[in-house]
Amino acid sequence: MHHAFSFNGDDHLLTLSRTTTAYCLHLGDEVYAIDLRNHQDDTATLVIGEQSLEVVIATQGDEVFVHLDGEVYQLRYRHPLERLAASQAGNSEDAIRAPMPGSLVVVAVQAGDAVVRGQLLLVMESMKMETTINAPRDGVVHAITYEKGQTFDRDAMLISLLPLAIEK
Amino acid sequence: MKRIESRLNTASAEFLANAAHNRKLAEAFKEKQRAVRHDRPARDIERLRAQNKLLVRERLAQLCDPGTPFLELSSLAANEAYDGEVPGAAVVSGIGIVAGREVVINAGDASVKGGAWYPLGVKKTVRALDIAIENRLPVVHLCDSAGGFLPLQAELFADKYYAGRIFRNQCMLSKMGVQQVAVVLGHCTAGGAYVPGLSDYNIIVRGTGAIFLAGPPLVKAATGEENTVDELGGADMHTSVSGTADYPASSEQEAIAIARDIVAQFSRQPKTAIEWQTPEAPYYDGSELYGVLPRDIKQGFDMHEVIARMVDGSRFHEYQPAYGKTLICGYAHLWGYKIGILANNGVLFNDSALKGAHFIELCNQNKTPLVFLQNITGFMVGREYERRGITKDGAKMIMAVSNSEVPKFTVMCHGSFGAGNYGMSGRAFDSRFLFSWPQSQTSVMGAEQAANVLAEVKIRQLAKQGKSLSKADIDAIREPVLADFKRKQSAYWSTSEIWDDGILDPLDTRNALGIALSASLNAPIAEPRYGVFRM
Repeated sequence: MHHAFSFNGDDHLLTLSRTTTAYCLHLGDEVYAIDLRNHQDDTATLVIGEQSLEVVIATQGDEVFVHLDGEVYQLRYRHPLERLAASQAGNSEDAIRAPMPGSLVVVAVQAGDAVVRGQLLLVMESMKMETTINAPRDGVVHAITYEKGQTFDRDAMLISLLPLAIEK
Repeated sequence: MKRIESRLNTASAEFLANAAHNRKLAEAFKEKQRAVRHDRPARDIERLRAQNKLLVRERLAQLCDPGTPFLELSSLAANEAYDGEVPGAAVVSGIGIVAGREVVINAGDASVKGGAWYPLGVKKTVRALDIAIENRLPVVHLCDSAGGFLPLQAELFADKYYAGRIFRNQCMLSKMGVQQVAVVLGHCTAGGAYVPGLSDYNIIVRGTGAIFLAGPPLVKAATGEENTVDELGGADMHTSVSGTADYPASSEQEAIAIARDIVAQFSRQPKTAIEWQTPEAPYYDGSELYGVLPRDIKQGFDMHEVIARMVDGSRFHEYQPAYGKTLICGYAHLWGYKIGILANNGVLFNDSALKGAHFIELCNQNKTPLVFLQNITGFMVGREYERRGITKDGAKMIMAVSNSEVPKFTVMCHGSFGAGNYGMSGRAFDSRFLFSWPQSQTSVMGAEQAANVLAEVKIRQLAKQGKSLSKADIDAIREPVLADFKRKQSAYWSTSEIWDDGILDPLDTRNALGIALSASLNAPIAEPRYGVFRM
């Protein structure tokens, strides 16, 4: 399994493989036998190669706190799918298209408005159902194609955000 | 499997207003449920106490393993019928754990009209036994009924799914090798006598329990013969002379203890193995579901937010995330069990229907149970969509849903209108369990649309005769239709008619589905086979 953790702002990639009793850690060409033995008092013994370390590990969601030798290290687990997808994010979310044919019933923003992710942009109606269109990311509204009451087909571009590169 | 990233602003006014609204709905539902379970006229309670009888909930508490969950089914059945005078349809049914085995429990509630069988009570019992058949679950019957409610006999006796079906289902279970035990805690008269009669094991309580085809008054009227209840069908006669009953018990407590000991003798078959991993709580707080669901049935919402608050670790592997986006398909784990989810995120188009049919085939191929989360106004209408064959593509989805062999589970989350109900495994499509959320609505079309259609028809009829309608005339047509639709499309009506297996507080859905999934794996999963898909 490939894993990634961010620590002090840097991503660290590492690979674990199973052994009959525990795991092997692969770092570049080096391979270390590792094991984590949990004790009843929330402490654990981390074995890396020949080394044995007493640690306390706490997790909250993706945050991992490791208490080792009087210091606390904070790591963040990064799911590979998320890490790889993040490098592509942005472009595909610049243009928001109509999920179904319908008409606009609310236009909540104007071109030039700064919006935050999840903010209400538009409300459309189709097939008896109102659908809200929220901002997919933080950004600035570039253009709104239709006015309130106007109808459109499926996949019509409803609203666009300024591309991230230009914003910066 | 990557975690769903919630886009919900839990501090927004919208979220808070939704949360307050939906919490209130959940509380109102729980209050109704409490009243149905416990509020009874004092004289009914006193009568049972005088007979030395336990109340049905006390019997259940003694029957089920302490500390285990009981998934009660259709708790509000018949609540909108019979002027609300037959709470729960005088039957308590559900899935419980007895002596370490998952069993269906079917219990008469003698505190309601003496436990008489009303049409909806019969329907509830038949449904409980259908669940036992479909999931191969042993059954414990707790019998205490006055017999069929005679004024309504025409609606409960003779038709295919009326009372006879109870006994037919018992025989099917026996043929399948699924065992049943009946505890006779009151009189089992006429048809009711066959419930213990057709069970593999039965226990009868001395003094209060009796089994006979006709009770003493009817026998006297028929033949002139005089009998006491005990002579005619009491515990000692049946366990020592006729052999109709197996175990005499001196009290209800003893009878239920014997039933538990009998269930403990049932051999435990290995369950069907599906993908499973150690369960994990959802990353997002389940109670945020209250803020996700809009206050207005017309308003859409992102079903990803619902999935994120229901599945293990909020992790979801979305299949075809960019195609047919109005139907979300993908894999997740729920209480450890791998499931395939189909969830509506808008109206069904050609591409969403095709994606759904394809995903159902995938899940059947790899033996992954299916969970349908309904919020659907229907398939898209209009010339362009007819030309693209929306009916044909909808037919493919319905074909795949109908012939699916993996267990299906359906949750009515919000709207369920038109053929969308069918494509998303509505009641007619044999989901192993189907639950509704308090605000959900089910009907052939929306109330407004139906009222408009009927008004339009009337206007045209009169126009042909050269007459026209005033606004007041049109309102007079619309209003009763609106009122009737609104009542009959509500979740409370659905559940009263047993179109579902009960209303759930959205927050309890994860647990209910977990129990349902576990129960469903008592039955094997057959190889998939379909009819002809219209291409």
